[in-house]
Amino acid sequence: MISAETIIDFLGIWGTIGLITAVIFLTVGIDRIDDDARGAYVFRILLIPGIILIWPMVLLRWITLELGRDQPHSRHQPPRDAHLTVWAVLAVMIILVFSSAILFRSEVPTNFIPTKISSNTVVE
Amino acid sequence: MLTVILCIGPLARLDRRFLPLLYNRRHFGVMTVFVALTHAGYIVNWYFNFSHVDKFQAVLSSNLSFTQLIGFPFEILGIFSLLVLLFLSTTSHDFWMKFLTAPVWKRLHYLIYPAYAALVGHVALGILQDNHQPALMWFFAISSGTVIFLHLLVAFKETFSGDKETVMMDDWNRDDGDYWEAICKPEEIAEGFARVAKLSNGDRVAVFKHQGKLSAISNACAHQNGPLGEGKIIQCLVTCPWHGFQYDLTNGRSPAPFTEKVPTYNLVITNGTVRVNPQANPPGTFVEPLVVNTIDGQATL
Repeated sequence: MISAETIIDFLGIWGTIGLITAVIFLTVGIDRIDDDARGAYVFRILLIPGIILIWPMVLLRWITLELGRDQPHSRHQPPRDAHLTVWAVLAVMIILVFSSAILFRSEVPTNFIPTKISSNTVVE
Repeated sequence: MLTVILCIGPLARLDRRFLPLLYNRRHFGVMTVFVALTHAGYIVNWYFNFSHVDKFQAVLSSNLSFTQLIGFPFEILGIFSLLVLLFLSTTSHDFWMKFLTAPVWKRLHYLIYPAYAALVGHVALGILQDNHQPALMWFFAISSGTVIFLHLLVAFKETFSGDKETVMMDDWNRDDGDYWEAICKPEEIAEGFARVAKLSNGDRVAVFKHQGKLSAISNACAHQNGPLGEGKIIQCLVTCPWHGFQYDLTNGRSPAPFTEKVPTYNLVITNGTVRVNPQANPPGTFVEPLVVNTIDGQATL
């Protein structure tokens, strides 16, 4: 089983590569692939956390745009057909988890009489 | 907060009076992330700060009872939701929509749905296990129930009574091999409004009638793929009902200095039927509007 330490280390490496990617992309790449970004610098700071999180996707997209493989028409094909399926599945999951958690939760003892566990020892 | 955010979308689809809320949904979402981060920060520092290992390692390793429902490590569900919220907020800038393309961006942002489900699990298997107050339980039950109900209602409505599909007709094709798909009769499109149709290739086209002329553009706005066919026409510019982006009906271009473009479509009227060529023109291509001459209710070219 993967240990918690491994996960934390992995996240650290991921973040470091992401930060390096952010520096390169925001100083070199963004001007090459986005006309609107040329001459605009302050907003680039806002992009740093996003690049750190999804740097592989940023690199992939950067390469696609650099090579001119972008398909403009694909920008106008919104994903709408899966809405019913997604929410039918989520509705079942949410209702099952919520109701199970409530039905099987342990009851608070009502006849519990608190007892004093401290002694009357006087600390001198 | 997440419940309110997730109700805005379906409410806006059901009733146009909720549309203005869409303008501020993203800001509300980003604010939610800061609240979630504050919550996580307090929890980690309160419960795990004095562990014998690093506090973040302690969060991940203190409860590993993944095989049981009661006592399930609900913290993991919260961490998943928090990571999704962080991802959504950090990619909420319009740059990301343009960079990743709106359909990819939207697919990624649909992660908010499983994140919401995980959050319900986080609450139900967490605080509701200790806090037995009926009011709290009913509050969360009604909240999540409302989100489920609204989304299913809209999904059913759009699936079973949504945009009509075009009709494939073999009785009229052009000599160059292009085929055309029937939309409706010209008089069925009200002046100043559009008829939205789903083409055989899956695209949605919005056919507008403006000053007696027909123009067809993609129904998906270049910004967030909002439904342009439901937008108002203001001086030959259709305005997206979601965020107000505007496009010229004849060429699909936003007015200067904006640079957004949507694909246009070629139209013809034959045998009293408006037909569209499903092969979209490149975004921003000018198409001469089709003049409709109405004589005794019958459209002629």
